This record gives sequence, structure tokens and C-alpha cells, in this order.
Amino acid sequence: MRHLWFLIALPLLYWQQGIESAPALKQAGVERLGVPPDQAETWRKAGFSPVPMSQSELESREKLPAPRIAARVEVASPTRSPWVITNGWRFLRNGAGKYYYDLSAGPASKAALAAAEAFAYGADAVLKIDPADLAEFGSMLAFLRQLPPDGMPPLADFAVVDDGSPLTGEVLNLLVRRNLLFRVVSAPSPQFRLNIKLGTKEYPKAEAANPSEFALKVRRQLTDEQRSLRVYGSEVVICRLTGDGSRARLHLINYGGREIEGLRVRLRGAYLKGEAMVAGSGRVELEDYVVSGGATEFSIPKIGIYAVVDLPAVK
Amino acid sequence: MDRRTFVQLLAATPLVSLANSETVPKYRVVTNYRPAPVPGMPGPYPGSVVSVKSAKCLDEASAEADAEVVREMMARGMCALTGEKQVLDAWRRFFEPADVVGIKVNCGGRPWVVSAPEIVVEVIRNLMAVGVKPQQVYLYERFQSQLDEVNYAPHLPEGVSIVGAERARGSNRLYDPATYVEADFFGEDDTRSNVMRLVSERLTKIINIPNMKDHGATGVTGCLKNIAYGSFSNVARTHFKGVSQTYSFVGTLAAVEPVRSRTVLQIMDGLRGVWHGGPFAHTRRYVFYPKQIMFGTDPVAIDRLLLDIIDDQRKAEGAISIWDRSPKYLKADRSDERDNDPNVNIIIREPGHVEYASKLGLGVYDLKKIRVKEIEV
Repeated sequence: MRHLWFLIALPLLYWQQGIESAPALKQAGVERLGVPPDQAETWRKAGFSPVPMSQSELESREKLPAPRIAARVEVASPTRSPWVITNGWRFLRNGAGKYYYDLSAGPASKAALAAAEAFAYGADAVLKIDPADLAEFGSMLAFLRQLPPDGMPPLADFAVVDDGSPLTGEVLNLLVRRNLLFRVVSAPSPQFRLNIKLGTKEYPKAEAANPSEFALKVRRQLTDEQRSLRVYGSEVVICRLTGDGSRARLHLINYGGREIEGLRVRLRGAYLKGEAMVAGSGRVELEDYVVSGGATEFSIPKIGIYAVVDLPAVK
Repeated sequence: MDRRTFVQLLAATPLVSLANSETVPKYRVVTNYRPAPVPGMPGPYPGSVVSVKSAKCLDEASAEADAEVVREMMARGMCALTGEKQVLDAWRRFFEPADVVGIKVNCGGRPWVVSAPEIVVEVIRNLMAVGVKPQQVYLYERFQSQLDEVNYAPHLPEGVSIVGAERARGSNRLYDPATYVEADFFGEDDTRSNVMRLVSERLTKIINIPNMKDHGATGVTGCLKNIAYGSFSNVARTHFKGVSQTYSFVGTLAAVEPVRSRTVLQIMDGLRGVWHGGPFAHTRRYVFYPKQIMFGTDPVAIDRLLLDIIDDQRKAEGAISIWDRSPKYLKADRSDERDNDPNVNIIIREPGHVEYASKLGLGVYDLKKIRVKEIEV
């Protein structure tokens, strides 16, 4: 059963190179791959688990931009407030969607990040990558494969009523970017104190024209104290938090392309000391762990592209 | 009293009421450290400054300092500050052999205006004379890359450590997660500035060695700015689109325990100075030579004098005052234009940060109450 869960949750590599590339795939630890239908049998005989997929099937999926930091003059500075291209909001908006990343023409070294991003959100994603990134992608896949299943619902501090418009999409994007945890709903939910609906008196569409300012308004309405999640020590780590009352899982995706030391996390609620699984480092002990004032804080000594922290709740 | 209670009490101190609430953000100070009976700032000599000048301390053509003259200036300054006749006795007023001493240098003005190695060496020589072992002495800055560029190591006795909090920019691991100031200035995600672990967990005393420098955001960068922005993380967030929150943040950080209690001596290196473009000094164009060293325990009093030193030099050079807030000189974020024109500000400067710090009890701001002892070597 657990094996099946991973088949669904792990991102799928779409591979167009010939069978002569089999040793490279084996070395990278990649066994399951999407291939053109006419090559499926060849790959099966070579010991792989091919998923037949035509180019048109691939392109029928929603194409995603490569996750990364982008230079946006006059909008964001590379150091203080970097412009992060993330797809988390798309996955939250349409959890049942089918997606694909085309990273075959660059930018380089984004395959592992894309795989981590898709996995963190449980997205059904296919990746077309630059073969030069195969080893890095394979390492990330191996890391994802060994993680215990999540299976918990995402935690949220407020709801956003999605009208499907690009404007709301950009708001969702900036909310994710600011680590504000929300649930996408079709109508206001009584479960939340804050329900964001564009076009209302409280949230006029004109305000959403500057999504960054709009996200800040929401943050201030929510208040930092009431946020389930805070991150200190980086502007480029985006998180997803799931939980079921008995435990919580925090996914941390580092879009910055550089290792981060000493990232500090604050979670609202009391949790027993858990552990971090850090891609590239394995099991890592959380540092400076404190439960105080209705919140849990800890530091992660080092994080490359991706880490997962599992925490049991205090009973 | 548990940690949480202590935090709440600190948060309840009337910091905000001391200044215009429109310009002072809400601060939450979190620390487990209590003030010393006599905190290092303003220390035993509030309102007292010793200024030692020497025309011979530096050759302007080569910008080389004369170590022997600097040594004499240091000795005269420390004796005058403490009233002791013997130099060693002057240093014993502040330090004992068991102390672990941090020397907060300033490397931001590399290569031309940094804490002079001649002064740093003399400080360490005196600490060792008191009985402090080299292994108990730490030179520190926030950025390891700046320390590497300045390269103090060849000047120092074996055993002295050089510590940069951030080996890679933005690294958080060498900051203390339990000691910080939280404030939301411009809606930034990371709202905390944490003190260096070295400061909170290892040092018992700190000697602050700033330079005499202009600063694009604070007007000047002297004792207060050097110890505050040089000991805490994530401070660049206070400058944004031509506006700076340094007016209140510099003093607020400097007043955080244990920084306030442990910073026991201020030695302002004015052998060289920067009258524009600070805190940087990438070229010699804006470098000048005050040829003096100031001594004290009161950072506000020294910085009050510095405000006039920098402003007078700017006037002499035909540049606008550090107090000028006119929008017509403001070109936000255009550091290239600022570097080419001394009448360009990239941020509205906040020289009032020095007076604000005085209201937090860090020292004496009123010139009429500051006693300056001038010595010529």
C-alpha cells in the first residue's frame, strides 16, 4: 500500500533519450519513467517501469514555469526581497490537476527543486529535464522515496474564495510566497475568521492589483502572532504545513539555490521534539528547540533544496 | 521569574513613549540577560570624552599610521579617561584576567577606513598585560568576507580568534535564537534581528572600535551603529525605498542585554574618516584625516561629537548637511549617483538616532553636559 502511495506522489521523469541511456538512469536510481509509447516495451525489457506517454499527452498537462529566483528590476531585489517563482499556489488552487515542468532547455539545476516542489504539494507532476541534471534529480527522488507518507490535511489560517480569475491567482501566488497558509474554497467558510473574497467591500479588486501589498494586508489582519507558521533567517524558503492534531509535517523548499544555515521556524501550538529529514544530509537533529507561549520554535542547522520536519503534538 | 514573564516585562518598558509614535515602530525585545549593576553603556564615565589628537599619527600621502604614535595616543587617552597615572591601571579599571573580551571592529569601510590594526594591536597588548590570555580575545564582525579582506591575522598574537557571524551572507547559525528584537518595519517576512551567539554566550566584555564615518542612512556611523548593527542579524531591512528606520532601531539594539552591559569601552578610531559615501570607502575620494582617537564609556557622547565632525567636514567640502531631509537631494537606491555626487542622498538620513539613544539611557546627548578633555600628542 505504501509502495502504491509513492507511485502516485513521486514526480515522474519524462525521458526521451534512447535505451542507451539506461545505465545513466540506473546509476541515478531512476526506475519509473514516462516514455513515448513506442519505446515502452524496450524500457520494460531493460528492467524499468515505463509509463507510456505521448508528447501530446504530456502537453495536455498544465505547463509550469521552472521554480527559481528571478531578477525583477524595480519589483524585487535579489537579496532583501527576492522574486521567487513558485508553483505552490497552482497546486493549491487545483489539487487534482495534472502538471508538467519542461526544464529540458534550462535553467540548469532546477530538476531537483521542481521534484521537491511537486512532492511537497502532492502534485501529479511530470518533469522533462536536462539530462545533465539527472544525477541531482535521482538523488532527490531517492530522498523523497524514503520519506514516511504524509497523508494529513494541509493546515490553514484563513480561506480564499477562488473565482478562477488571473487576479485571484496572483493573490494566491503572493500569499504562498509570504508563507501565509490558506485554504482555497468556493464559498466563504465558517471555519475561518478570515475569508478573502476579491470584489467585496473589504477586499476590492483594485487593491489586489498590487498582490504583494494585498498579501501584506491579509497578513496584518491575521496578525503574525496568530500565524501557524513563521520562518526566520531566509526570504526564499517556502513552506507547506500539514497536520491532523496528533502530529504535523512541515515541508521546507529552498528556492534560493544556496545552502541556508540556522533557519529558524516557529509553529503555533505545542509539539514534542521531532526530527528533520534534509535532502543531501539525511536525518538531522533540530537545534535550539523551545516550546513556550503557545508556540514551538526550532532551528534547522542546514538546508539545501528541501527538508521535511515531522513533529508529534503534545497530548 | 520565568523567561516568558521576563520577556513580557521588557516588552512593557516605555520605549515607545520616548519618541514620536508615528516614527517609532513597535518593538518586542526578547532576552534572558539581566542588566549589570553598572551597565557598560553609558558606564562609569557618562558624558565624558577624551579626544587625543596627533598630527604625527598618520602620513596622509601613504595613509600609513605610525604605530608608536598611536601607542602613545592610546596610553594618554586611557589614563585621561580613568584618571590613572599608569596605563596598566587604567586598563584594569575595565578588565580582569578572567574576562573573555570581544573587540568589535569595523570593516565596512574597507579598504581605506577600517578599525586600524595599530589600535587593535595596542588594545590586545594591554589586555594581555592585564592578564587576559590571547585565547580569551575575539575580534568580531558580522561578515566573514569583510574580515578576510581586512586581514587582521598577521598583526595579532597567536591564539586571538577572528569571528565573522556570517561565513555566507544570510547565514543564521551563529546568531542566538533566544535573544532578539522583533519589529515589522516594511512588511518584511523575517521580522527578527538576533544577537551574535559570541556576544551572548561567550564574551564577558566588549571593546567597541568604530571609525569616524558618514552613513547614508544614519547620518554617521559611530559607537552606537557599530555595536548595534554590527552585533545583530538582519538589520539591512531597516532601509527601504529611501526611508530608514534607524532613528529608533540603532539605540534599541544597543540597549538590548547583554550588549548594553558588556560593552564597557569605546575607542573611536579617527585616524582616518569618511565624509561621504559611508559606511563604505571604496575610493579615497571622500576619505579625510581627523588624526584623533576618542575614548569613553558613553557611546552617545562620542557620537554626538562625531555628528559635528562629519557635518563640519561636509560643509568644508561644500556638501549638504547630514541633517538635510529635503526630497530634492533624495535619489532612492541610486548608490552609483551617491558615489559620484556628495549632494545625493539615497536614504533620508537619521542622525537623530544618537539623541534617541540618549533617551534610552545609553548616554548624554546635550553638548553642554558633555565634558571633552583634549590632548595633543
